[in-house]
Amino acid sequence: MSVGENRARRDGADKVTGRTRFTIDTYPENALHAALRRADLAAGRILTIDTARAEAVPGVRAVITARDVTGYEGLGVRDRQLFARDMVRYFGEPLAAVAADTIEIAEYACSLIDVEIEEIEPVVRMSDALKEGARLIHPDWQQYDQTEQGKRAGNVAWEATVVRGDTASQFAREDVTVVEGTYTVGRQNQAYFEPRVSIATYEDGRYTITTSTQVPWAVRSTVAELLEVPESSVRVIVPPVGGAFGGKFEAALETFAAALAERTRRPVRIANSRQDEMLTAPARDNAEIRIRSAIDPGHRIVAREATVLMDAGAYSGEQGFLTAMTAYTLGGVYELGSVRLVSQAVYTNTPPTGAFRSCNGAYNMFALEMHTRDISDRLGVDVDEFRRRNAIRDGSINAIGQPMDGDILIPMLDRMTALRHQTPRPRGGDVIDGVLPDGRLYGRATVFGAWFVLVGPSACTVNLNPDGSATVVTSGVEIGSGSMVQSIPQIVAQSLGIDPDHVTVRAADTDSGGYDAGVGGGRTTVSLGGASTAACEEVRKKAIVVAADLLEAAPEDLTYADGTVEVTGVPGMGVSVTEIARHAQKRFGPISGSGAFNREGVQRLPGCIAGHMVDGIEMPIYAVHDCEIAIDGDTGHIEVLAYRTVQDVGRAINPRAIGGQIQGGIVQGLGYAIHEEITIDGRGRIEQTGFEGYRLPGVKDSVAVSIDLFEGAPSYGPFGAKGAGEIPIVAVAAAIASAVAEATGKTVQQIPLTPPRVWRLINDCEPEVTLDWISKSWRDNVIGDADTLERDAGVFP
Amino acid sequence: MVYHLVVNGEGHDISASPMCSLSRVLRERLHLTGTKLACGEGFCGSCSVLVDGNIVPSCLVSIARAQGHEIDTIEALTAGHPTVSAIAAAFVEDDVVQCGMCFPGMLVAIRALLSRNPKPTRSELVDGLTGNLCRCTGYARLVDSAIGVIDNIASVETAK
Repeated sequence: MSVGENRARRDGADKVTGRTRFTIDTYPENALHAALRRADLAAGRILTIDTARAEAVPGVRAVITARDVTGYEGLGVRDRQLFARDMVRYFGEPLAAVAADTIEIAEYACSLIDVEIEEIEPVVRMSDALKEGARLIHPDWQQYDQTEQGKRAGNVAWEATVVRGDTASQFAREDVTVVEGTYTVGRQNQAYFEPRVSIATYEDGRYTITTSTQVPWAVRSTVAELLEVPESSVRVIVPPVGGAFGGKFEAALETFAAALAERTRRPVRIANSRQDEMLTAPARDNAEIRIRSAIDPGHRIVAREATVLMDAGAYSGEQGFLTAMTAYTLGGVYELGSVRLVSQAVYTNTPPTGAFRSCNGAYNMFALEMHTRDISDRLGVDVDEFRRRNAIRDGSINAIGQPMDGDILIPMLDRMTALRHQTPRPRGGDVIDGVLPDGRLYGRATVFGAWFVLVGPSACTVNLNPDGSATVVTSGVEIGSGSMVQSIPQIVAQSLGIDPDHVTVRAADTDSGGYDAGVGGGRTTVSLGGASTAACEEVRKKAIVVAADLLEAAPEDLTYADGTVEVTGVPGMGVSVTEIARHAQKRFGPISGSGAFNREGVQRLPGCIAGHMVDGIEMPIYAVHDCEIAIDGDTGHIEVLAYRTVQDVGRAINPRAIGGQIQGGIVQGLGYAIHEEITIDGRGRIEQTGFEGYRLPGVKDSVAVSIDLFEGAPSYGPFGAKGAGEIPIVAVAAAIASAVAEATGKTVQQIPLTPPRVWRLINDCEPEVTLDWISKSWRDNVIGDADTLERDAGVFP
Repeated sequence: MVYHLVVNGEGHDISASPMCSLSRVLRERLHLTGTKLACGEGFCGSCSVLVDGNIVPSCLVSIARAQGHEIDTIEALTAGHPTVSAIAAAFVEDDVVQCGMCFPGMLVAIRALLSRNPKPTRSELVDGLTGNLCRCTGYARLVDSAIGVIDNIASVETAK
């Protein structure tokens, strides 16, 4: 058995000793080095960009600007070009790129580009962008090519809505308790350690791009869109990636390298510095959330309305797509009698945001679970009791009317109770009246988390080699999570009955692996794994035919099991996969199989959603988090004393590796919840320019997480697996904020919970988050026509 | 300017501008890309090397300052040191590595710590790793793995 086994990583030895070559470690012979000239203001009209002085510098080989690259790209809305053309929309936006013999020459030449920009007052906050008469970040928004169905208007780049049932009449009932909450969160930088970097060549009319990405096929299409060339002329190769966390789920520097390589006919290397990454990484968006709920006398949620504003920054990027996730991350854990949700991606003059592990789930769960706490407080009931009463269970329908399969959340809560007893808090001492012996405030909380598998298409080819080994060809990328070095080889080994060490996984190359939606969203094990098992199935079928020839038996009398093909019912009468592969080679030619995977969404209630770009957001995944914290009342400093999680994994392909994902994801979440703070000044500039100002968790911020993997929930993933790497971060902010609320007795409306913020909470001088610009009425907040949305959902007020 | 650098016991004459960082020289000129570079400002520990046995961030050391000193990089640091090699092996065996960008720097830090303090306690080990950031792993498992090796060696020695 290889599924379920704690196999070590095959790339481990080279990684720990530094021998692994990431893209950033590659400096090709004869390569030119590229640098960007970036805008040093957030909004302005471009009057001139004169590159003459830069071009005259010895060693400069090419200079390109918006004049040279004219295509548009975007997911759903094509609103972005490679370079700013007429307007600058964010601080750091590329204006020109230079390729030169050395990086020093390229940077020097960039500084000689004469740029004249008429500065405009930037629109930095979403509240300003949504004001009546606000300046439009994209005055020509109506001219943009829109490739997906959805509503947008002015500074609202995209809107996704959910309407199920008549919330208005529920809120109007006299016997319900109405509870409201407003929450706000800042951005979080992915801070992958390998910065984004690309190396391109141009030969025989094709671009070959080696790059640090999660999405080789999306890079292929984005480069083609921007350069206005056929997608087939772009080849993308991905060596091991030094961390990504969602930040490399979209194209980045590739097109600069490709365009400059075409001009110069030399390899071109372009790499971001950490400062570039702090300025321009597609961070988890800052967001503003308003939730209202109506609770009936039986303590059931009969209506819920929520508005989620997501700061997209200057271009819609992935945010239009991510708006849909609110349906699952805010609407996926509690039974709701009726529900209305609206999520809007809002343009501002700030760097574009993007995907980061669990995306809006990381803050929607914070808002949802703080709101859940407030409801329980108002009702005067125990929050855990309220949770149990309202949790999604077998046969529940979720926010968009999908029926849910299996009792998962409540058994997970029970498992958490058991885990808490098995793993008592190792330090802190006895709590008396909410205070620890050293005088610090004590808080504990248990919360829910929900994510899903972003299924999407994957392809896989498996070659059975004459030595009995298998080669797996896909476009999957190893970003550190172990998907391509543990889960896929273990799945293939299990399917073929061979040792995982005899499974080779080819590094992603769009010229050899078939289409893949990318590594992220918890999809790799499910979708690429599903494609792999399908490919193995074909290999097994062919192997039986070959074995039949070898054994002079009828194929229907043969069974493939444990790496041999045997005559059914006659154990020992069989041939090994190696013998089969060799025989095939001689008689029929080599054996290979190809497989594919995708899954349409489970049926939703007709007409209840609008502006959702994908159907394939699928298969719920749950987590229960529990933490105990101590707060120093004098400083506001939080120490995490214990952290526990029960995570729904379907079936654990490699339990220890999943544990590594959980430990890492939760510490990343502690950074998000407690001290990773990005602030944007009035001029639209991110104030944290490096790791000095941006406080990542260090070894002393870590806590060893107690983990219980919950197996057995329904899953159509290979061997019953679900994605395990995305969800660990989803409920950390929810857990920490709830524990802070418990410890201090105050409502928490904002993260990160830095010491100054916690101190202000304790001392009643933390400003209230009112979000006055978001109406209490869902109808007022939608840009779509509320009547139409209701009618489409079958609601007739 | 031409500088003479002694790296991993081998001499090299390198022509560079005086402010060129040691990390760039190691990575781009000597192809020693085991020295990773994540922040370039001395805050992450990924580019740590030993200069005359002391741990320093190579991104903050200029080639001019490095001349005349013994420089040791990850490429030479694990093989010659049984405990560090054992910890490197344990990191693999215990499956604690993820993306792998920070681990070479972690091992350099551990090597530097062990040369000062051959039998660190868990909290001394944690102190020794405070200059090394990791974005993937959440630290706990790598600390467990390393301290497991250190404690094991200590107990074997006690048994002798």
